[in-house]
Amino acid sequence: MTGSKITSVTIGSLNDGGNYRSQSIDSMAIPILEQEAMAAQSGNIQSVSGASYTSAGFIQSLQGALTTLGL
Amino acid sequence: MVNVDTLGAPLESNDLILHHAEDVMGTVVTIDVYGPPTVNRELVDPYLSSALASLHHADSVFSLWQADSPMSKLRRGEIDLAKAPVVIGEVLEACQAARELSQGWFDPWALPGGTDPTGYVKGWAAQRALHLLLGAPVQGAIVNAAGDIASFGYPSEGEKFKVGITNPHSPKELTAIVALDGCIATSGSYERGQHLMDPHSGHFCTRVASASVMGPDLGLADALATALAIAGNDLLDVIDELSEFEAFTVSFDQERHWTPGFPLISLAAHE
Repeated sequence: MTGSKITSVTIGSLNDGGNYRSQSIDSMAIPILEQEAMAAQSGNIQSVSGASYTSAGFIQSLQGALTTLGL
Repeated sequence: MVNVDTLGAPLESNDLILHHAEDVMGTVVTIDVYGPPTVNRELVDPYLSSALASLHHADSVFSLWQADSPMSKLRRGEIDLAKAPVVIGEVLEACQAARELSQGWFDPWALPGGTDPTGYVKGWAAQRALHLLLGAPVQGAIVNAAGDIASFGYPSEGEKFKVGITNPHSPKELTAIVALDGCIATSGSYERGQHLMDPHSGHFCTRVASASVMGPDLGLADALATALAIAGNDLLDVIDELSEFEAFTVSFDQERHWTPGFPLISLAAHE
């Protein structure tokens, strides 16, 4: 991860309310990002999946705002 | 009317040949096609046209908002299956399979107005559109139909597609970023209000705020995501058992759960 917008990064733990089955700690190394870091990462995604929206809803949606993510 | 042509386009990359947004099926479907800059866009346009035509065709056959669509007529008993377009029979058969696989939690026949395969059709139509792009001289493509995504190939050399999943508690933010293998569908009530019905109780009800299913078949992923949103986390076991399908949920208390193979890249810190 690069960039100056990252305020904190933690490594996921079993207590994160994450995986519904218990797993070894080794496999739980999914970074948990504060919103700013998340926004920075968003610049690298190609699409957004969320609950279905109408045409009017698209304009408000994250998918509709894809070009501005990460800025 | 806002010009949606440039909305929803991923950040400029050398390899993005084409971005298109189309108003169809009551929503906006975006299509993004990737290939090296040497590809002549004019070679790709005919495939895009075919893909768009297939979306409009699916809309005209299945739209329940159009009183004279074959699906609407079928529901009213004005035509029977034998007189209806063949794709309706195919879709209904696939919905039967989805009903069984979801242990009855996805059930288009249990809905109050009559048979309603909408929870399958959107994904099915999006993937059919994607398939029409396969013949184009491109390295990858993504079709996004209101949050149901189908993909093939890759965005750039050595990279996989990455998608974000919306945070149902704050839909202008992401809850997770995942590596996309094939297709992903997400279901929840937060965009359009309570519209998901529990076929067992007959009540509008969702037990998690958002449910996402990834797999090779977008129609089925769409149906399973609908079922998962209604049934809640107990259904994660069932989806986990299906080879090639993985799932992820966000609960009303903001906790997230996922099947062991769900390809998470990162999670957002929730408040």
